[in-house]
Amino acid sequence: MSDHQTATTHATNNAARVAAVLAEVGASPTLVRIGQGVRELRPLVADSTFVQVRLGCLSSFTFNPLMDAMWLQGIRAGCNIEAYVAPFGQFERELIDPMSGLATSEPNVVLLAVRLPDVCPAIYEDFGSLSESDAIRLVDDWTLRLKTALMSFRARSQVPILVMDFESPVTPALGLADRTATPSQLATITRANQRLHGLSREIPNIRIMEYDALVARRGRMTWADPRMALYARIPIAPAHYWSVAGLVASYLRPLLGLSKKVLVLDADHTLWGGVVGDVGTTGIALGPDYPGNCYVAFQKRILDLHRRGVVLCLASKNDEQVVLDVLRTHPSMILREEHFSAIRANWNSKPDNVADMARDLNLGIDSFVFLDDSPVECDMMRQAMPEVMTICLPKEPAELPGVIDALDCFGQFAISEEDRQRGGMYRAEAGRRSLQATVVDLPTFYRQLDMTLTIAIDDPVDVHRAAQMALRTNQFNMHTIRHSEDDIRRFMASKDYQVITLALADRFGDNGVVGLALVEIAPDAWTLRGFLMSCRVLGRTVEQGFIKWVAARAAQTGVDRLVGEFVPTAKNKPFAGFYESCGFTRMADPSAIERWTLDLKSADTTVPDWVRIVLKEGAAST
Amino acid sequence: MSHANMDKFKSAVSAILGVPPSEVVDSLSSESVDSWDSLNHINLISAMEQEFGVMLPTESMAAFQSIAGLKSLLADHGVEL
Repeated sequence: MSDHQTATTHATNNAARVAAVLAEVGASPTLVRIGQGVRELRPLVADSTFVQVRLGCLSSFTFNPLMDAMWLQGIRAGCNIEAYVAPFGQFERELIDPMSGLATSEPNVVLLAVRLPDVCPAIYEDFGSLSESDAIRLVDDWTLRLKTALMSFRARSQVPILVMDFESPVTPALGLADRTATPSQLATITRANQRLHGLSREIPNIRIMEYDALVARRGRMTWADPRMALYARIPIAPAHYWSVAGLVASYLRPLLGLSKKVLVLDADHTLWGGVVGDVGTTGIALGPDYPGNCYVAFQKRILDLHRRGVVLCLASKNDEQVVLDVLRTHPSMILREEHFSAIRANWNSKPDNVADMARDLNLGIDSFVFLDDSPVECDMMRQAMPEVMTICLPKEPAELPGVIDALDCFGQFAISEEDRQRGGMYRAEAGRRSLQATVVDLPTFYRQLDMTLTIAIDDPVDVHRAAQMALRTNQFNMHTIRHSEDDIRRFMASKDYQVITLALADRFGDNGVVGLALVEIAPDAWTLRGFLMSCRVLGRTVEQGFIKWVAARAAQTGVDRLVGEFVPTAKNKPFAGFYESCGFTRMADPSAIERWTLDLKSADTTVPDWVRIVLKEGAAST
Repeated sequence: MSHANMDKFKSAVSAILGVPPSEVVDSLSSESVDSWDSLNHINLISAMEQEFGVMLPTESMAAFQSIAGLKSLLADHGVEL
């Protein structure tokens, strides 16, 4: 092995170890883990490719305890932080004095961690004593002082300044009355934050960090440990050091050009539940109910990232055609072929595929993030390509959307028009036509909903959903016979039956498949052997529209009658009266089972004008 | 008596103060280790709370500044080393 190769292997091993340690610390960021991480990584990163940053930290509280977490989060973001931490409470002097410790440390980034409770304690501790003009004057005086200090610094230095915004109290001073009181404590703090944002527009290169949002996310109640706050003036509990440091690092990334650009996604157990190669396009978990809805929600979060400008790639161990089939035909897929800039569905190793896509896209692998449910694949990626940020997904599908919420590596300070256009916003545009908040009659309300019913007959894609509805629907259900997936498949295959499903979309989005009719076909009559509707779409005439469409179709084939039963149960009362409302007459029959019939010669089968009905293309028809 | 707890204790002290675990002996104190300053002592107490799932008295943030002291503090709070 040449010296060069030895050095390269050594660097890769180091980088792999760095990635592994960071993953361990991130999983459980206790003080001990953080301390161990720093001690282990410091010698490994000395010679390498991290961006060197001199970070000047100014604060109104004891800030030093956060610095180990800060250094590690910096490494995670790709920069090696060398920090100057000013004595707490001296931030104004540090900014103004050209000979201050801050000035002589020649920072390339300044962090201003000032808490409003430290500088304007009256707002937090004695709010009840303030008049409205007192509260306004306090905030305005304070922000003016801050502006003076920042401008004095700016006159000498152009380096970026990150400023923490101000947090709300755990409980407002005026309790429930706060928001409507004058002055209101929360409104006063909001005003202070608006002033901060004003400063960021008046003075160049200032970014306001969303500290209050972080406190809210992590939990305001347990944000501080009162003993640490009162004894040591550390207003952040040790359990949160990692996330505060993470917040700062998430702003350092776009500042230093270290934001990730590409998200590589696995397919099976990631974009959908199950292994598509085994269960086929119709068998994967993806749709309106658990667990399929977890994957839908996950995909929607990813689509949001895409619309912010994140490039999506797919790396799956599958035959390409199998994956493309899902992307192109599965009705519940949110992410489609056009959202992916590169797709590698093959049997090569994932590191090879990622390297290949990086070449195609002409983007560095250090701008890639890799998501996979398999710990083995994740480990392999960390070993082979430590520059890639690898995230191993949780086993519980409901936790998937939260993984995207927690990603802090794609930050950009501005969203370009091009980013915004991405992914097509047509549905959102349609939804944005604002609803008038006025009293309307029901037909007007129905018309405003802009409902489209998509009907499919014997469509194998719906097998799983149809069986699921048969199993779960208790309220709007003519009887509660539970048909299995195998039953549904048999009905679909049989000439004597039709399985008709109904999907509903409206201006607020796609509800997916919400209705099912199982029809037995005879020369003189169609008989409903199942008719049910998800109760979340009841009360907007969709159920009447559906049965009238079935009746009209039956009439077209020349039969005389549409027949249906109603078997009352403890739960299906919402179904009672349904046949009657659609013009059916009850057949004389003394049993508990009601039998109803619709004479198709005379029946009115016109569907209300506010529902548009589309028969799904390609679905089987009689 | 628990070896696991003792190991955990030693790695915790080592991680916070930067001394090797083998040097975490009873006689070690804030007098003999430069990195054992008042702030790191608070970190030590917080770390003990996190590692052993106990709540230690606020007074300990300025007392028990030796390994022997920390051990007796933990023993008083039900942690067997």
